[in-house]
Amino acid sequence: MIYKIQATSQGHFTRVQHYLLYSARQKPHGEFNKARWLYFGCSQLLVHTVRMPDSTYGRSDSYRVATTQDKADRSPKKKKGGTKDMDDLKKEVPITEHKMSIEEVCRKFNTDIVQGLTNAKAAEYLIRDGPNALTPPPTTPEWVKFCRQLFGGFSILLWTGAILCFLAYAIQAATEDEPAGDNLYLGIVLTAVVVITGCFSYFQEAKSSKIMESFKNMVPQQALVIREGEKVTINAEEVVGGDLIEVKGGDRIPADIRVVSAHGCKVDNSSLTGESEPQSRSPDCTHDNPLETRNVAFFSTNCVEGTARGIVICTGDRTVMGRIATLTSGLETGKTPIAKEIEHFIHIITGVAVFLGVTFFILAIILGYSWLEAVIFLIGIIVANVPEGLLATVTVCLTLTAKRMAKKNCLVKNLEAVETLGSTSTICSDKTGTLTQNRMTVAHMWFDNQIHEADTTEDQSGASFDKSSVTWLSLARVAGLCNRAQFKAGQDSLPILKRDVAGDASESALLKCIELSCGSVRAMRDRNKKVAEIPFNSTNKYQLSVHETEDPNDNRYLLVMKGAPERILDRCTTILVQGKEQPMDEELKEAFQNAYMELGGLGERVLGFCHVLLPEDQYPKGFAFDTEDVNFQTDNLCFVGLMSMIDPPRAAVPDAVIMVTGDHPITAKAIAKGVGIISEGNETVEDIAARLNIPVSQVNPRDAKACVVHGTDLKDLSQDQMDDILRNHTEIVFARTSPQQKLIIVEGCQRLGAIVAVTGDGVNDSPALKKADIGVAMGISGSDVSKQAADMILLDDNFASIVTGVEEGRLIFDNLKKSIAYTLTSNIPEITPFLFFIIVNIPLPLGTITILCIDLGTDMVPAISLAYETAESDIMKRQPRNPARDKLVNERLISIAYGQIGMIQALGGFFAYFVILAENGFLPSRLVGIRLNWDDRSTNDLEDSYGQQWTYEQRKIVEFTCHTAFFVSIVVVQWADVIICKTRRNSVFQQGMRNKILIFGLFEETALAAFLSYCPGMDVALRMYPLKPSWWFCAFPYSFLIFVYDEIRKLLLRRNPGGWVERETYY
Amino acid sequence: MSSSPQEQNREQKEEQKEEQKEDKEEPKESWKDCIYNPRTGEFMGRTASSWGETVSMFVCLSLSDRETNTLDDNVPRYQDRVANPGLVIRPHAAEISFNRSDPTNYNQYIQNLHNLLQRYNDSIQERNDLCMVGEYTEQDNEPIKKVCQFKRSMLRQCSGLRDSSFGFAEGKPCIIIKMNRVIGLKPQGDPYINCTGDSPLRMQYYPSEARLDKMFFPYYGNKAHADYVQPLVAVQLLLSREDLNVEQTVECKLEGTNLRNDDDRDKFMGRVVFRVKVSE
Repeated sequence: MIYKIQATSQGHFTRVQHYLLYSARQKPHGEFNKARWLYFGCSQLLVHTVRMPDSTYGRSDSYRVATTQDKADRSPKKKKGGTKDMDDLKKEVPITEHKMSIEEVCRKFNTDIVQGLTNAKAAEYLIRDGPNALTPPPTTPEWVKFCRQLFGGFSILLWTGAILCFLAYAIQAATEDEPAGDNLYLGIVLTAVVVITGCFSYFQEAKSSKIMESFKNMVPQQALVIREGEKVTINAEEVVGGDLIEVKGGDRIPADIRVVSAHGCKVDNSSLTGESEPQSRSPDCTHDNPLETRNVAFFSTNCVEGTARGIVICTGDRTVMGRIATLTSGLETGKTPIAKEIEHFIHIITGVAVFLGVTFFILAIILGYSWLEAVIFLIGIIVANVPEGLLATVTVCLTLTAKRMAKKNCLVKNLEAVETLGSTSTICSDKTGTLTQNRMTVAHMWFDNQIHEADTTEDQSGASFDKSSVTWLSLARVAGLCNRAQFKAGQDSLPILKRDVAGDASESALLKCIELSCGSVRAMRDRNKKVAEIPFNSTNKYQLSVHETEDPNDNRYLLVMKGAPERILDRCTTILVQGKEQPMDEELKEAFQNAYMELGGLGERVLGFCHVLLPEDQYPKGFAFDTEDVNFQTDNLCFVGLMSMIDPPRAAVPDAVIMVTGDHPITAKAIAKGVGIISEGNETVEDIAARLNIPVSQVNPRDAKACVVHGTDLKDLSQDQMDDILRNHTEIVFARTSPQQKLIIVEGCQRLGAIVAVTGDGVNDSPALKKADIGVAMGISGSDVSKQAADMILLDDNFASIVTGVEEGRLIFDNLKKSIAYTLTSNIPEITPFLFFIIVNIPLPLGTITILCIDLGTDMVPAISLAYETAESDIMKRQPRNPARDKLVNERLISIAYGQIGMIQALGGFFAYFVILAENGFLPSRLVGIRLNWDDRSTNDLEDSYGQQWTYEQRKIVEFTCHTAFFVSIVVVQWADVIICKTRRNSVFQQGMRNKILIFGLFEETALAAFLSYCPGMDVALRMYPLKPSWWFCAFPYSFLIFVYDEIRKLLLRRNPGGWVERETYY
Repeated sequence: MSSSPQEQNREQKEEQKEEQKEDKEEPKESWKDCIYNPRTGEFMGRTASSWGETVSMFVCLSLSDRETNTLDDNVPRYQDRVANPGLVIRPHAAEISFNRSDPTNYNQYIQNLHNLLQRYNDSIQERNDLCMVGEYTEQDNEPIKKVCQFKRSMLRQCSGLRDSSFGFAEGKPCIIIKMNRVIGLKPQGDPYINCTGDSPLRMQYYPSEARLDKMFFPYYGNKAHADYVQPLVAVQLLLSREDLNVEQTVECKLEGTNLRNDDDRDKFMGRVVFRVKVSE
């Protein structure tokens, strides 16, 4: 922990790190003092929107905090804007049945409370309303998916190239007797490349969707309905409105039902509302809001325990769940950032190609070529600019990353989404684990009116308090007993801190803490048999259990309770100090408040503990404790102490946060302040009002950097106001968001240009998941709808994978840049021969076939190997990329690749070309202007510089030998290119040559080049000829020059940060 | 940033290798120095001038080595691609088609032949030397290479002297076959040209036996051997009346020697195919 903080503090300080370091300085002792990550209470839903700093959008590097009003008022809000249909879906749930009496409901559906529907009525309704199933989102037919792969993005460029090639060939075929086949072959190869890569990515995605398929629950749901007085089990799809149905613990509720009778029925609404605590159901209407009231149970939620009987009020798409699912599938998603980048790249490439093409078209006309020839040249130049191999390279690079992520249980549904996480500037998450290590640990305790540091060392060497204190023992007993977490079996050999625990995070933390300091908790629980228990729920905010005492002679029962400190305190009349029960007086209450504030202020999640020995006369042995209808005392308890826990933050947590939480505004604000979402010194409007002692309305909202947006406010905000909040407040927290509100937040962020990632598992998250640039769903706990909507699925529900995803995404973005820089560079030595061929009429130095050999042969492995390159610096310390400014391919990359390295490469190639021709008798002076005779088949006595005469075929062999040599030279200069492309800033001496794939690539391309040149039969197959060994060395000096040139450039770049070299050449 | 042990190791190795005396006492020495040392101005262990020398040496060596030192003025470095010379015909056309009664029709052909034979005019050739028939004229060491005489008149009917239409007016056209010049080429055996038609065709060769005499070999290149003329063979197609208006395909091959004339790909190596159609 200490190390981690120091490590992260090396680079630039993020605000969180600043904060952490600050607290470390303030409290230099104890492990967990170094970082404070606090959680108050137990929020049911905590949605953090993590936003990374981005000044261009008017947000500075800070956090935004907002909270909602009280939990009780939690209705879905209307959303403004959008199309009418969507608007309707975004509106409040139109269920009114919960407010009707049961009779009214029966009347409405023509059903009977005892007999249920008649079979005839049920059949009639089934025909009228359709089956009770969600309409699956319109699935794209396989051929459409395939075509999308074939014609999407980069492929368009290649298709255009191929069509141009065929066009050029057609022109040639129409005008020449013996048209050169080059354009035809090139067209065919381009087509083949697109088709093959298309198939590849299609199958890659098909594989992912197959895994998706496996998520689908194939077992048809059954429902127990009462029709004509008889209980029948039918397929859940046949359930109709008005059906009387029965559900019991473990069932999935088959439709939205109005409960008519219930026995201890509890439902888990988490997939719908995000509330993780089971909610009890009863026939009474307890709330106006159908989502809050107890007498409605919803489609596809689970009945956890008990039984209930109810009348179906909505089926299929009309259910609450169905409406959300329909809303989700109706949302349109934008392009992925990488798709946008590739589009931008295509624009640049097309621009360069057309510019070159038109320039040389005009030149050709001026030089006296015929129109038709000039058009052929124009097409040739444009096509030559198409990097044939790049599509395959990009696809393979993305696939490799996707595979790497899949190994870490991160399934990527859409290949392009691999990079998106890396560009993400805003993360909305409903899991705290995203930001923290998800290893909740006890940090502090307060008892005997003193704050003690928890000792979390394995050998208990760091004890800072007297463990024999009676209060401590009592506290430990309460924490151990009033705790449902337990170690998973078979881990006795492991250190306690490393053992796996079944149970929630804070209970696990308590369990480990007690196990460490007091020995086996299991033994303690065995000595104190549990007789009754009320699990934690959000209304009580406490958890209690009743145990027998350790002393067999003591027949009293021990009641232990833990929960939100203020709630616990309310139930206490005494407090345990130095082992003695004392009445809770104002002084002690204040001490409690101070301790609570202090621990809370440290950003820790604080729990209060209390107990009482129930008097034997009222609760004799064998007393039947009823936990449903509590028949024993839960107040007048004795307060024991507080324990606080932290979840250490991840080193890689992004800088700025918008938090959206289900907590009470004050709690949320405290958390936000604790984690630095609201930074020190920044105040909300309310803070300013409190400080200046003026009404909130008189405070200028612009003065407040921080902002707390109440959930209810969100529905009243116009789009402009929403933007205004996001733009003008640097630190905001939203709380308790409905699916619609989440959508509004995501849309708001996107409007301001942020790249938004959303994580979630519930159905309620799915609209936001779909709308986000990248939606991340949970593989295990996630609902099908959320998985359908997401782009990425965490198969093991481990949020640490998101951080991996961010890292991999950033890495692949960097490496794609390198790959593209590498691949594009060889474009210049490929184009210039053709240009010189046209302009100075020399024999063609490099042919189409050899160009293809480079693009689709030798360049492939090195280009792909750059995807394995490790990061140059700590990419997680970097700020997220600004999509408006940090492009995948920018002018500087083009300038380096085309203008600098490419030119040197072309020189190398031409050098080899001229050497070979000169050594065979054609000195450069003879070559200029020789083209027409050279390419004339009927001239079979062409004279060279020495007076020798050559037949057409003889000189063509020399020409093709030149092509081969030019090709080999490009391979040689590409050695240097791949080495310089390894790094964008560092020297290769700093980076090292540890990339084995790259080294393999170097050997592979060389071997391939040698094979193509020397393999017998190549002269016939590809018209490549064996080179004399000395010709291999022609390009060596140029290769060396490239290396030195770029090392010097990078040296200057490092030595003058922000200097001219960096501004002009850092891509 | 601190330097890692490997980097320091490397640095030290670098120093040893380059035998550059670094001030090791200097405390602020860091790994960066192995890339660029501001105190000595060294970049990657060498000073700028040292680098300049190395690079320019490297470049110069590889450039000058091949271009200036090794390229001979008289002989190209490699001749393997022209080891077997090609055959070409004059007039320069793959298909010779004309109406014998219309001079404008074949004027371009005979003009082409006259141009070729200009250098073979007896007046010019008489200045050249007479060489030993059937023997190579080897003169590798002579500073001035002599040129063997090939008089135009040796082509007799096809010399264009007596019949300036080269037989075209009669419908019996002369085709001149020449072998490509290749420096240093010495064909073995007794090279001659043999032509065959697709239909039995009477042909007359000049000089008789269609021999390319060995005395015209070897050739020493256009600088040393500026006035060299290559030997020619003329073949007159003695077309009969029936052959008129019919396209005749004739293939002429270089035979009686080690030189190849059967390359699959190169249809002009040691052979030449042409078509003649004479109409009335």
